[in-house]
Amino acid sequence: MRNRFDEQLELLNVELIRMGALCEDAISYASRTLMGAGDFSEEVYRTDREIDQKERDIENLCMRLLQQQQPVARDLRQVSSALKMISDMERIGDQASDIAEICGFVKDFTEVMESRLQIRDMAEATMKMVSGSIDSFVKKDLQIAKDVILYDDVVDSLFGKVKQELIDILGQEQMDEEKSEFCIDMLMVAKYFERIGDHATNIAEWVEYSITGFHQEAN
Amino acid sequence: MKRKIYWNMCLVALFSMVVGTLITTWLLCQDLQEQMRRDVAAEVRYLEAAVELSGQEYLDQLSSQGDGGSINRITWISPDGQVLYDSFADRESLENHRNRPEIVDALKTGRGESVRLSDTLAEQTYYYASRLEDGTAIRVASTTSSGLAAMFHTIPLMIGMAVVIFGVTMMLADIQTKRIVEPINELDPDALQAEHVYDELSPLVRRLEKQKETIKEQMVTLREKQEEFAAITENMQEGFIVVDSKADVISYNSSAVRILGVDLSLDDEAGGNGAVNVIRLNRSSSFRQVVDEALAGQRSQQNLDINGRHYQIIANPVVEAWDKRGAVVVILDVTEQQNREELRREFTANVSHELKTPLTSISGYAEIMKSGLVQPEDMGRFSEKIYVEAQRLITLVGDIIRLSQLDEGKAETQKSAIDLYRAASIVVDRIKDVAQKAKVSIDIEGQPTVVQGAEQILEEMIFNLCDNAIKYNKPNGQVHVKVSVENGHPVLKVADTGIGIPAEDKERIFERFYRVDKSHSKQIGGTGLGLSIVKHGAIYHQAQVEMESKLGAGTTIKIIF
Repeated sequence: MRNRFDEQLELLNVELIRMGALCEDAISYASRTLMGAGDFSEEVYRTDREIDQKERDIENLCMRLLQQQQPVARDLRQVSSALKMISDMERIGDQASDIAEICGFVKDFTEVMESRLQIRDMAEATMKMVSGSIDSFVKKDLQIAKDVILYDDVVDSLFGKVKQELIDILGQEQMDEEKSEFCIDMLMVAKYFERIGDHATNIAEWVEYSITGFHQEAN
Repeated sequence: MKRKIYWNMCLVALFSMVVGTLITTWLLCQDLQEQMRRDVAAEVRYLEAAVELSGQEYLDQLSSQGDGGSINRITWISPDGQVLYDSFADRESLENHRNRPEIVDALKTGRGESVRLSDTLAEQTYYYASRLEDGTAIRVASTTSSGLAAMFHTIPLMIGMAVVIFGVTMMLADIQTKRIVEPINELDPDALQAEHVYDELSPLVRRLEKQKETIKEQMVTLREKQEEFAAITENMQEGFIVVDSKADVISYNSSAVRILGVDLSLDDEAGGNGAVNVIRLNRSSSFRQVVDEALAGQRSQQNLDINGRHYQIIANPVVEAWDKRGAVVVILDVTEQQNREELRREFTANVSHELKTPLTSISGYAEIMKSGLVQPEDMGRFSEKIYVEAQRLITLVGDIIRLSQLDEGKAETQKSAIDLYRAASIVVDRIKDVAQKAKVSIDIEGQPTVVQGAEQILEEMIFNLCDNAIKYNKPNGQVHVKVSVENGHPVLKVADTGIGIPAEDKERIFERFYRVDKSHSKQIGGTGLGLSIVKHGAIYHQAQVEMESKLGAGTTIKIIF
């Protein structure tokens, strides 16, 4: 019985890693689209759909585990934090596809590439956070999880910088409608990245909880 | 086994106890009854005689004496069944006894007996009657407990005995089982000896011995195979991972761990029951895709970049049986290959560019001349330009041919003993004019030193080094050529006081067509292949090239043979 439980728990872990990897793919595609390295929006949408499917699968698995095995203590923490993590991951997938959707409207990417917009740094920073949070789960490494939680401040400050830059551009005199629209779009993209960072933080916090039984927000 | 022996012993003891008691009781009952019958019969005979003699008086006397000490009941019955005397009860209250079987028999045949059980079956009464001469009958009745009752009497005794027997059996069983089992338990599988155990076990022991031998042999074979396999995979530069149908890692080599940069031993704890899913090693989409496709039964191949190096992942499905699937994943480092390919692409692009530039000039001048727009007095100048560009092309093509010859390793036929100092002197003499034009002084020192080499290549190497030292020098600079012997190796050193090479370019200056200062290359001239030729020449001579350079202060290049 115990063996079967371990097997199911390992399956849960593997599925979570797969879902996390899909999230990484989704953001990576989305930011590549944003950076003008090609149109990967179809890939982002496809990955998002896979993420949604994974969420349902993992939810089912968790429910089965809870009903049939009635785990306690550490095992219960693993299952319950898995349930919380998948909703964060699902949101990351959604936001990645939102970014890809906005990129569909923005025709001229050279502005992103050439202007000093720090949005590229932001994309990289959030990708680093998501990878870190999944890594901390894979390796059950408390330190990585803590680093990810701290790194959220970097992303937040980058968001502030991006916002300031966009305000500066909008404040210039020779603004046309198209350029303003671009700026607003970029602001939304930046906000999405900032939200992805928050979700990555959440995931890292749940990883911390599943290891220590102690959740930062709750205490 | 112990319990079995114990229960068996208990059951046997219990069974024998019950059966023994029953039989003994029954036999005793029989004996007792026989005895009682004889006693009763004897008593009847005495009474018979007494009553014949004295009749009623004797009986009255008997009763007055308390029945004469007899515990038996004495009854005297008239021929019509009337009770004339009874030692236990008042004769008036007794009913007629004519129909009692013993009386009937006695009146008829002179003797009669019968046994009757009481209502509760607990007692049985034996009646014995005899007819007297006067036709009356005397009867004696003896009451004893019945056989069944006798048996009931023994039950408490039997229970007591059973308890004792159980206790003793338990003790005995304990000792006995221990004694039986001990030699079996003490069987040492490593030192089996058939004669040391029960005879009954020796076939088993022999089989065990045989099996042990087989297992030992198989273990040795297995270990050898495993070691062989491990030796092969461990010595592979390529990463090697075997996974099962659930994508759990079955086997891997250290290269795989090194390339993927994971600690598998740490994951052992995290993954529970020792199974590590391959996704824990790497979760990039290409890696996942390769493994998934291989597990689905398709050979698959993808590129993966880890820590700035390029890898090619190849996964092959392994199918043993329809339900036993797995995959072998091989990770190849293709960084060098990719870099080489990139270099080759760059080289091709550079060659085309370098060839095109002089050709465009030549074609341009020729076109103007063809159209007749050139004044006759300008003809010389135009021809001169075409000639210079054509010369440049020839040098360039010559350099490329030389390089590719060196590349192929078939340049120059035989190596021979060559005086390095002499070769360097010839080159310095030849280049002196160029140096003078560039306002650079050049000198040479050293003594004749012999190396094994190809003269033409050696001269070309020295020429290229000196040429560079002059070209990339400052006005009034110096070039110092020195031939010496260091640590038993002939060394050629070309030092200049030129512009030097920036640190970030030091790695690349031996690449073909690489130039530190790209914007002035045309002014300086040359093909950008000089140092490449030096490098390949050194390889051809199995010599080492060392370079020291300080930006703005000069460069020293040493060739150590």
